[in-house]
Amino acid sequence: MREYAFFLGCIAPNRYPGAESASYKASEKLGIKLLDLEGASCCPAPGAFGSIDLNVFYAMAARNLVLAEQMKKDIALVCNGCYKSIWEVNHKLKHNKELRDGVNEVLKGIDMEFKGTIDVWHLAELLYDPAIVGVQKIRDSVKVPLTGTRIAVHYGCHLMKPRKERHFGTTEHPTWMEEMVAALGAEPVEYRNKMLCCGAGGGVRGYDLVHSLDITNEKLINLKEAKVDALTEICPFCQLQFDRGQIEIQEKFGVSYNLPVLHYCELLGLAQGMTPQELALDLHGISCEPFLQKVL
Amino acid sequence: MARTKGYPEALEKKLADTRLYEDERHPEFTKTVEKISMTIPHMCYQCGTCTASCPSAPRSSYRIRKFVRRALLGLEDEALTDPDLWLCTTCYSCTDRCPRDIAPTDVIMAMRNLAFKRDIIPVNFLKTVQAIYTSGHGVPNNDVNRAARKKLGLPADPPTTHRFPQYIKGIQYILDYFELKKNADRIVKEREG
Repeated sequence: MREYAFFLGCIAPNRYPGAESASYKASEKLGIKLLDLEGASCCPAPGAFGSIDLNVFYAMAARNLVLAEQMKKDIALVCNGCYKSIWEVNHKLKHNKELRDGVNEVLKGIDMEFKGTIDVWHLAELLYDPAIVGVQKIRDSVKVPLTGTRIAVHYGCHLMKPRKERHFGTTEHPTWMEEMVAALGAEPVEYRNKMLCCGAGGGVRGYDLVHSLDITNEKLINLKEAKVDALTEICPFCQLQFDRGQIEIQEKFGVSYNLPVLHYCELLGLAQGMTPQELALDLHGISCEPFLQKVL
Repeated sequence: MARTKGYPEALEKKLADTRLYEDERHPEFTKTVEKISMTIPHMCYQCGTCTASCPSAPRSSYRIRKFVRRALLGLEDEALTDPDLWLCTTCYSCTDRCPRDIAPTDVIMAMRNLAFKRDIIPVNFLKTVQAIYTSGHGVPNNDVNRAARKKLGLPADPPTTHRFPQYIKGIQYILDYFELKKNADRIVKEREG
């Protein structure tokens, strides 16, 4: 069993607890144990904090990293926004001495020091990596195959982009998530402009909600065209934007899509036999019932 | 007159008049943006791939290419006071496609940092700061969610600063070190009374 410090972030534990619960249970069946990272905070939000003062952004993320360093465990997380903060700051501080010294000067005041002794992973990349889990093992763990459903993938931005700083290869047309969806027995569906942003990031959701929803709406139009039963993603902030966003789009633009939006961990949990109650799917803004009826 | 190509006289005059720009140029702005962003806007040849890739461009007057040009020319005031500065979703599509290996997204982030130094910032950014100062979370827990967590067999509060509030002190120390909370409170109060 591989052990990781589980960095929760904000939206998964505080808005979609089913995604958190499913992450523990589903990954344990696949040989990954997620441990509590006591005292972790917001990553901090890369759009908000990065825009205000990058030095604060580095120091706040470093504090979370040091907590995991003290546990001597690599971090695993389930949110692209958290990945941007935690992975990127870890990477930058490891390779930029000036930056690291600056951050440590601040952390000294709370008896902490960034040493650069751990790595940071998105749970999705751990699940996909054949050296750790791999698609075959995911397939073997499925008890309730999602046969007959058409599922589209939203990759989000901050896991794979900017491409040159990351290690995921192409960001124009990736297909590794589709492989993971197919492993659950569902049919992965391609749609127009798949890599378009959900519209929430960079503080835009808070700054200009209608602008941000208009981007989401464009994605939803493209998804409707592809006739999908559900959308899956690996970022609770994108999940919030698509799920609660559909209600806001209904209010502001008068269009409704009723497209269920599930985090990949929720989908995986469902396929491994967790019930909708165990996934708290009733907390979703958009009912997952039509999708569940096809599956269960 | 420097150029005599037979343009209409008014245009000739305008082309010759560079003072219009020089007054507004701050060469140190270019350098500061490059330092904070750790990227190279001076390499931009204005192809426009960034704007073409931008999800915000089709639905607003936000043009990332224009901001990169402003960085290069040192047009500090024009860049920092433009409300479009805050429409970047930081999706990094422009960065992935830039043929000159510039990270326009990071140019925007650097400009936002510099704008904040002049108190130019939308309040929603500051409210996130205030929320984190109080609870450690930008999106804090609530009672509906606590009940749902318990039903799932999870503890009502996650093992973050929510269940271990003694860690909030460290977060407050960092935010106070940069005087961020103080400035956030001041600006929010000025705007909202």
